Amino acid sequence: MLNKLALSGIRHRIRDYSVLFSGLMIASAIFYMFMSLATNQTFLSSNSPAAATSFIFGFGIVLLAIITIVYVNYANTFLLSMRQKEYGMFMMLGAKSSKISRMIFVETFTIGAISTVIGSIIGIFATGLVSRWIISAMDMQVKHFNSFYLPALLWTFVFFIVIFMFSAIRNSISLRRSKVLTLLKRDSQPVKIKRNGVLKSIQAVLGLILLAIGYFALWYAGTNPGFIYLGIPVALVTIVLGTYLTINSFVTAVIVMLKRNTNYSQKGLNNFTLSQLSFRINDYTKILSMVSMMFALALGAITVGLGFNNQIDNVVNGQNYYDVQVINPDAAQQKRMKSLSIKTKDVYNYKTDGKKVYYRASEFKKQPVGYSQIDTKTMISSTKTTNNPSKNTNAGYELMNTRLPDQRTMEVGFVSDSAYAAMNGKETTTVLVKTNSFKNNLATIKSISKAEIKRYPALKNAGGDKYSAYTLINGFFSGLEFMGFFLGIAFLAMLASCLMFKILSGANGDVKRYNMLYKIGTKQKVLRTTINKEIAVLFSVPAILGIIHVLMGLQLFTKILYKPYANIEIPFAIFIVLYLGYYFLTRYLYKKIVLK
Amino acid sequence: MQKIVEVQNVEKIYGKASEKQFKALSDVNFEVKPGEFVGIMGASGSGKTTLLNILSTLDTPTSGQVKIAGEDITKLNNNQMADFRANKIGFIFQDFNLLENLTAYENIALPLALQNRPVKTIKPAVMSIAEKLGLEEILNHYPTELSGGQKQRVAAARALVHEPSIVFGDEPTGALDSKSARALMDTLTKINREDNVSILLVTHDPFSASFCDRILFIKDGEIGQELKKEDVSRAEYYQEILDSLGTFAE
Ligand SMILES: Nc1ncnc2c1ncn2[C@@H]1O[C@H](COP(=O)(O)OP(=O)(O)OP(=O)(O)O)[C@@H](O)[C@H]1O
Ligand SMILES: [Mg+2]
Repeated sequence: MLNKLALSGIRHRIRDYSVLFSGLMIASAIFYMFMSLATNQTFLSSNSPAAATSFIFGFGIVLLAIITIVYVNYANTFLLSMRQKEYGMFMMLGAKSSKISRMIFVETFTIGAISTVIGSIIGIFATGLVSRWIISAMDMQVKHFNSFYLPALLWTFVFFIVIFMFSAIRNSISLRRSKVLTLLKRDSQPVKIKRNGVLKSIQAVLGLILLAIGYFALWYAGTNPGFIYLGIPVALVTIVLGTYLTINSFVTAVIVMLKRNTNYSQKGLNNFTLSQLSFRINDYTKILSMVSMMFALALGAITVGLGFNNQIDNVVNGQNYYDVQVINPDAAQQKRMKSLSIKTKDVYNYKTDGKKVYYRASEFKKQPVGYSQIDTKTMISSTKTTNNPSKNTNAGYELMNTRLPDQRTMEVGFVSDSAYAAMNGKETTTVLVKTNSFKNNLATIKSISKAEIKRYPALKNAGGDKYSAYTLINGFFSGLEFMGFFLGIAFLAMLASCLMFKILSGANGDVKRYNMLYKIGTKQKVLRTTINKEIAVLFSVPAILGIIHVLMGLQLFTKILYKPYANIEIPFAIFIVLYLGYYFLTRYLYKKIVLK
Repeated sequence: MQKIVEVQNVEKIYGKASEKQFKALSDVNFEVKPGEFVGIMGASGSGKTTLLNILSTLDTPTSGQVKIAGEDITKLNNNQMADFRANKIGFIFQDFNLLENLTAYENIALPLALQNRPVKTIKPAVMSIAEKLGLEEILNHYPTELSGGQKQRVAAARALVHEPSIVFGDEPTGALDSKSARALMDTLTKINREDNVSILLVTHDPFSASFCDRILFIKDGEIGQELKKEDVSRAEYYQEILDSLGTFAE
């Protein structure tokens, strides 16, 4: 009988339950996505040269596990906030508390099991989709990556079963312990705000000092790589604490200030919104700090991932001056070259006698040869041209790579026109093209390089042209970039859903408040705006702090990455779009719960 | 004299045409004059809350006409209804319905802020009503720090602060002990007399009802009987109510 009642209770709140289910499914889907990468050792070792990768992913697993536990905890609170009144009623009607606690145990566990199974399946598809999207969007080469990876699936199952077991036990104990009355009235028991001005100011100062120490540690570790293993933990601890204290003190201070300003607070529902927030902030400090840290880490991961992409350009441009090189071009190659947007096109001829190669010095007088070099101190590449390649090792190296492989090791001579004409050896023509942009002409450059290899199979292993260098380096950095993106997106999705749940779990308690405001004559539109504002503040606090953390955190990469701040708007844009998506979803669901 | 409430041929049927229908109100007619203190009594399920919800624009009648302060409220759209509630009506609920995250002062000020009254006028208005209801000492308390009786007086202050045309109460004393109930009814009577505020109360409780000038008895969705106080004392009126309830129930 009771079971039937409980089931019918679920049917009545199908909307709330669908929120709960989809949230838990997101959690296990994301966990699986992450594990499919993190537990795949073959993938990690073949895509990243750094030994640190395993360490980073181990660290990532721990972080994600913590977030997931917190997340499931919030989802669980959401479940309890829905159910306790009903179960309290059953108890009031005389149901034994052991029976009730068994029921909540079964309910929690069943919900967990179902959502984990479905979530993992979603995770497998999502992994395939996201990885394909990232790989194609970034022109990456990723090896040994499978969207279905059994160990990851098993880990996901084990992990979620364990945490749901704990949640179920916790729920049943908490129901058994609570008095019937507290269960029936829980919504109406508000947390009292503690107002302690002195403590808050101490917190504010301490928070700022800790943040400053953390940022300094990041900057210092960035300029002194030896300090990294100490700097990162120091920065993590101080920034976490600093974030917590800052949110706790500053946000409260701003709210109190706005409340005091009656011209603002006594207009419409402003005072109500402020009070909602000031009650919430106390309750939300922990999650907001956590979200802002995660936000920073996720955003950081993507930014650094993209930083590796910028690295590709830098390194590739440091390898070759010319984007395209064609030996004795035939009609087909000529035609392909026509479709490039050409900046300079140089044609050099050489003859070889089997021991040495000879260029005509006059050709270099007419068309100076370009070459690139890397400054070994800054790791920044630059390009130059010269009329006299015989005196310049960089230019010599550049020329060497434009010849056929068996002629590369030969000695080089630059001779006068008359001496050149007198020579008997076979003449080879090399056409070298620099385009306006390697990236924009990539497709044509690729087809020319492929055609060259067909015409001269010896080039296949020897490479030498810019496209071969690009393939090599792209393969090298793509793995890192892919990990950064994947990590970032998984983290963001997780933390935003965390925040979403925290907010939604308060929604049930808000139903009465909004209903009352409606009764005393507040327009639906005004109620909606109020909800939007409140949720916007809760979302923007961690986002702002997180963005500051990232901007500071990139200092850590000043030595490792070429221009860590370049193209920073791309990861930020991706992030803001995803995050905004979560904001709109949250406010939509919240309104569905709270308003009629 | 203009009437504050005019109810004509109001009928309320719950349930869509396709479903099982239930007639909660049938052919209800009555009026309330300015400054009147009217009670509505009836058994559980007789349609009291239904009637009050219609009067306060929270629900619409299936047919019939309701005029409040001369305005036909059945013809308003949602926004106009909200404005109407905000400007013309005060509410006192059985379970207080205060916002726990606002202080007593802020709760009382809420209707004024909702109407976007000039900020300067808000404080005097709140202070004056708080003084009338004896709430000066507790204005900075949060609802959880107040007793039931105090909460209900704060709720009454919130219902009165914007000087509505009429105050509606659905069992305002329902959750109070007899002493607090009496204090609240005394206060409402005082406000009714001194400030000429019209009040319409739904109640189960004959004692609370005895403070009214006139009582409408409702049975199975119809107004069956009316009992006026005339010049009798409250104690005598209380007895009359008890008698009517006895006969009316049969
Ligand atoms: N939303 C609804 N849908 C269908 N029937 C309803 C609805 N609301 C009320 N009713 C029915 O209308 C009748 C009158 O209900 P109402 O709530 O007005 O009674 P009441 O006089 O306020 O009772 P009480 O004193 O117990 O509060 C009841 O029989 C009730 O079952
Ligand atoms: Mg009722």
